[in-house]
Amino acid sequence: MKIDSLLNIKWGMNKLNRREFLKKQLQGAMWVAMGASGILIPKPVIATGVPDLGIGKGAPGPATRAAVELLGGMKAFVKKGSRVVIKPNMSFNHPPEEATSTHPEVVKELVAMCLEAQASKIRVLDHPFSPTLAVKNTKDACNGFKKDMVYGLVDSNFYKPAQITNGLTFKKTDVMQDVLEADVLIAAPVAKAHSSTGVSLSMKGMMGLIWNRDTMHRDYDLSQAIVDLASLLKPQLVVVDATRVLTTNGPHGPGKVLKMDTVIASKDMVAADAKTVQMCKWYGRRFEPRQINHIRYAHEQGLGRMDVENLFVKSVEV
Amino acid sequence: MRFQRVVQSISFIFFIILLWLAAFPLISPILVDTFLGLDPIIFLGTSLSTRSFGSLIWLSLPVLAFTVFIGRFFCSTICPMGATIDFTDRLIRSKQKKLFQLFTNSRSLKYLKYQILLFIMGSAFMGISLVFIASPMSLITHFYGLLIHPALCLIAGKFLVLTRPIANYFDITSLAYAQIHVPSFALQWFSAILFILIFACAAWTSHFWCRYLCPAGAIFALFSINPFWKRQVSKECTQCGLCQKNCPMSAIGENPFETNHSECIVCETCVRVCPVKAVSFSSTSFKKTNYSQNFSKSRRKLIGAGVFGLGAGIISLTDMKSLHADIAPGKIIPPGLIRPPGALPEKDFLARCVRCGECMKACPSNTLQPLALAAGFSAFFSPKVTPRRSPCESLCNVCGHVCPTGAIRPLPMEEKIWAKMGTAHILKHKCLAWEFNKKCMVCDEVCPYNAIEFKVIPGSSVAVPFVNENKCSGCGCCEHFCPVHAKAAIIVEPMGALRIKKGSYREKAKEMGLSLQIKKAQNEEYETYPLNEYDESGLPPGFTE
Repeated sequence: MKIDSLLNIKWGMNKLNRREFLKKQLQGAMWVAMGASGILIPKPVIATGVPDLGIGKGAPGPATRAAVELLGGMKAFVKKGSRVVIKPNMSFNHPPEEATSTHPEVVKELVAMCLEAQASKIRVLDHPFSPTLAVKNTKDACNGFKKDMVYGLVDSNFYKPAQITNGLTFKKTDVMQDVLEADVLIAAPVAKAHSSTGVSLSMKGMMGLIWNRDTMHRDYDLSQAIVDLASLLKPQLVVVDATRVLTTNGPHGPGKVLKMDTVIASKDMVAADAKTVQMCKWYGRRFEPRQINHIRYAHEQGLGRMDVENLFVKSVEV
Repeated sequence: MRFQRVVQSISFIFFIILLWLAAFPLISPILVDTFLGLDPIIFLGTSLSTRSFGSLIWLSLPVLAFTVFIGRFFCSTICPMGATIDFTDRLIRSKQKKLFQLFTNSRSLKYLKYQILLFIMGSAFMGISLVFIASPMSLITHFYGLLIHPALCLIAGKFLVLTRPIANYFDITSLAYAQIHVPSFALQWFSAILFILIFACAAWTSHFWCRYLCPAGAIFALFSINPFWKRQVSKECTQCGLCQKNCPMSAIGENPFETNHSECIVCETCVRVCPVKAVSFSSTSFKKTNYSQNFSKSRRKLIGAGVFGLGAGIISLTDMKSLHADIAPGKIIPPGLIRPPGALPEKDFLARCVRCGECMKACPSNTLQPLALAAGFSAFFSPKVTPRRSPCESLCNVCGHVCPTGAIRPLPMEEKIWAKMGTAHILKHKCLAWEFNKKCMVCDEVCPYNAIEFKVIPGSSVAVPFVNENKCSGCGCCEHFCPVHAKAAIIVEPMGALRIKKGSYREKAKEMGLSLQIKKAQNEEYETYPLNEYDESGLPPGFTE
């Protein structure tokens, strides 16, 4: 009896506002459709301003641009005359579909955006196992730019000693001189699983900017050493290439590759890594960011935020 | 500049360019080992020790044919060893005229090269190749490839470090980021001293090597006892003795009209120094020679040298360390003796390898290193893979393609993948994962063949590595990158190496149940991730609860 009357009242209310209700439904649907088609980005419901995480969906190049645009565009990070170092994963001579390296198109787009922002010096650097073969795909992609900028540095002369003042355990290392001298560091990792650290994203990727990585495996707790290193090498911008994600058997692969067509950008490397962990199915399962030791440690030690559910996320499809 | 010098310089530059091109990727339009193929001692010695004829070594036959007509032109024009000695002689020689005179007429020393030749042939008869002790092309390739090349790389590298600030200033990125890989080789001191000794002999007499030691020269000498084109002296000769004094090979006898054509390298120095232009090189009939090569006196010595060679062969065969015999129980194989991919079975490999070092020079990862005495003297300076130094590059097959004698087979890439060099073994007591419970999976990370599997086993909190020997090519990536200090926790041993004389490696390997494949992106046919291996802990590697 009670339920019936309640239903009646509800039905009656709806009946009264039916026309308006339908109107609103139609409006909402149009907003969604417009947002999805990219004509109009729906206004945020709760927060406004620059999001903590910008997510672009689509082909590698456009998705990269869209994600960075959500954060205010490259000019928010790269001022005129800045010296920029972009750090993609280019340690393996594998084609892009294997998802062990950052998609060359992502790197190319970042370089293009830095050029548009009038960076004075752009370098795309990694410390690969072999100097030429590994970086070849990325180099080829960046061939169109006027100057050579993609290098794999395997000569110790390019690295200079640096103190990790905020490191808990890992306190000194040798970092690429270009990175030490750069105004802006952009981490552009590919999203992949890693047999030692669960995942290899922007924080783990910083290991590609130092000379002696072995010691991190051998002499330290790797997860804490990664956090220590990230306290020194803190990119101003993180662009995680999750267009393809190597979800098993990383970092070398081959493993199961998920096509996600997603690029995640953030100022906060912990948040970018955490969001990537949360978004992808690793080994066929869902995981929480806290289940990756180095992400949890970084969060606990105040390097960034892994509580992505509390962060302002904006997405756009291109 | 005189003609001979021009030809010699061109030939020498050509040699250096070819040696420089002996690298990965191989882009030379002509065979980079051409000069090695021209060496008749490599041809004869290797043919006898292997009882077969190789392909490239046929190149020396036309040279020998020409020698019959125009004498030892090879020594003064083509030979890069000769060119080098011409140069070093100028640096070292001159002031010791007295000593020089002392040796000029030392006839018995001239037979030394024949003795060396017969010694090599004697050992070759026993199936042991000692060609490497004196082959001029092998030695000079070794000199430039393994001594000079790394030295120049080092100097260039240092120079680059100096120029880097300047290049950065002018924004010449190609120069600022140029990196030179400096190869390094085992036995550098041995090589350095060896070549210092060879070149320093100029202090006693000019062209000491060419005159007295070179076995290839000895073969040419035998072919040029009475060549068609040779030194002639006309009646105008005043017997001033200038030609005798200046002849680098001491080929002119007491009587300036007489020429020892076997010694003459057709450099025409005598023509140039003659004040009355009495000397010329021209064609004559074959029949007349005014100088007799007298072998009879030293016949005993020559036979003796041959017997010594046989003896050297026998000693090599009875050397406990020698690997010439078939592998049998009790045969000790040095654990580090990993041969390059496509190396013939050990016995045939040693019979062919002339230790020129071309493969070591060409090896892009510098993993090929000369062996010391681990496998006996007869295997001295032969190439071996040194994984701890560097892994064998999985996409490279250059060593077989630069080998002049086919000791390493020139395999196409599809075949080379299957030429298993050895097998990796895990030393659990050193392994970070097995022994120290550290989350290290570097070996798996770097293995190009996906031969490392890691599993969580009872009693271990982290996943530990296992080697799937059927997938392991023995490339040594794991050993090279293993982060533990000193000896790696995963090492490659020659066990399971696939070495066949002929036929397809691919077929043979498949027959043996091997499954060697470069890791590729996962597609339909690729096995899916073995999630069940993590069921015990419930979590994939690196993830926590």
